[in-house]
Amino acid sequence: MPVSIGDGPFVLVVLCNQTSKIMSAKQTIAIIGATGSIGSGIARSLAGGSNRLLLFAKQLDKAETLVGEIKSRNASADVEALECPANAAWEADIIILAVPYGAERELAEKIKAVANQKVVISIANPLNATYNGLVTPPDTSAAETLQQLLPHSKVVKAFNTTFAADFANTVIAGKQVDTFLAGDDENAVATVSGLVKTAGFNPVMAGGLAVSRTLESMALLLISLNIKYNYNWLAGWKVLHQ
Amino acid sequence: MYEVFFRKFNEKIALTREEEELIKQYLTPKKLRRKQYLLQEGDVCKYICIVEKGAMKAYVLNESGDERIVGFALEGWTIGDLSSFIKQEPATLNIDALEDCELVLISKAAHDELIRLVPKYETYIRILMTDAYMALQKRTAIMISMSLEEQYKALLEMYPAVVQRVPQHMIASFMGLTPETLSRVRGRITSRK
Repeated sequence: MPVSIGDGPFVLVVLCNQTSKIMSAKQTIAIIGATGSIGSGIARSLAGGSNRLLLFAKQLDKAETLVGEIKSRNASADVEALECPANAAWEADIIILAVPYGAERELAEKIKAVANQKVVISIANPLNATYNGLVTPPDTSAAETLQQLLPHSKVVKAFNTTFAADFANTVIAGKQVDTFLAGDDENAVATVSGLVKTAGFNPVMAGGLAVSRTLESMALLLISLNIKYNYNWLAGWKVLHQ
Repeated sequence: MYEVFFRKFNEKIALTREEEELIKQYLTPKKLRRKQYLLQEGDVCKYICIVEKGAMKAYVLNESGDERIVGFALEGWTIGDLSSFIKQEPATLNIDALEDCELVLISKAAHDELIRLVPKYETYIRILMTDAYMALQKRTAIMISMSLEEQYKALLEMYPAVVQRVPQHMIASFMGLTPETLSRVRGRITSRK
């Protein structure tokens, strides 16, 4: 029972006899570009966890259709379509930018103020028009560019080496697909690792945000191999080890 | 987004524009809808929370699962489970939104960094803590020494906005009373006027 209670400009509380944990507060995740192939895959995967999802797409009706689809599969899913990316990001604890690299600059401007100190997941691969090279210089990456645009957010690279179809098939050829993470903030990387597990993938902490250069090149290679060997967009990376 | 936070800060200690900009880098703006949780018992309290707009309440659940409210926070007030925040251990409190809220959050990492970087921030936090401790002492003294009628009058005098804005059954919970008992207390006060 409480031994003393207080109120005022700062609520200061002293309690004893800790009671047992009931449940955790939900984390709110904004998915910007939610109706794209990757965005919708992430939304479907994360709706199964104890997350609250806010979906934004340029066309609200498409986002609402996705909400309806998710709820028809899982009536208890906490998911909602929002009209404004800045409002979605303002409510969110975690922001997933599921948009092409070319759209990130404009979106970053819109959410910059409300994304302060928040975890922002970069999934974009800066592919050229013919899918045989990257448009970013070799000494940077899409994730590092995003970090420059959102200097006070905690950018983490994730989900960029997984194809959209992988979200419905996280085990391929008997192996759980790896999802690589790169980020400079340890707590932010740990948070995103939790989401990766919720989505059914095996998280692999690859290193600091600069490792995104390698991860984006790995995505390019996987796409090239997929086209060359006709993997039907169901393929992923797996590090085999003892 | 941070207007109330900086207004309150500047009321205690004047900040330069540069200091405001530096502090702003470490603040997390967050919207919370009515009835949504900021913190649930058993989770670690990750943030100090300042209410920019709206109202919050902190409570514990008793053995029957009923809420026992231990504090409210209106615009400009700060709320959090201090012990959990400082020690980064599981919280004993639940904190949720009484109304749709706009909040400013300060994470433990941001708080530690601000203390290191901005001496005025440390001073401001010390003032907040001191004020909170004094309020806690005052409230304890009121609860121990005053009749229920006097306690309610003291609450009205100290926090008129809370009494006006918060439903009476929550005021009753805060005072450790049933709504019926609080209603009788208010009735006795009215009849003596």
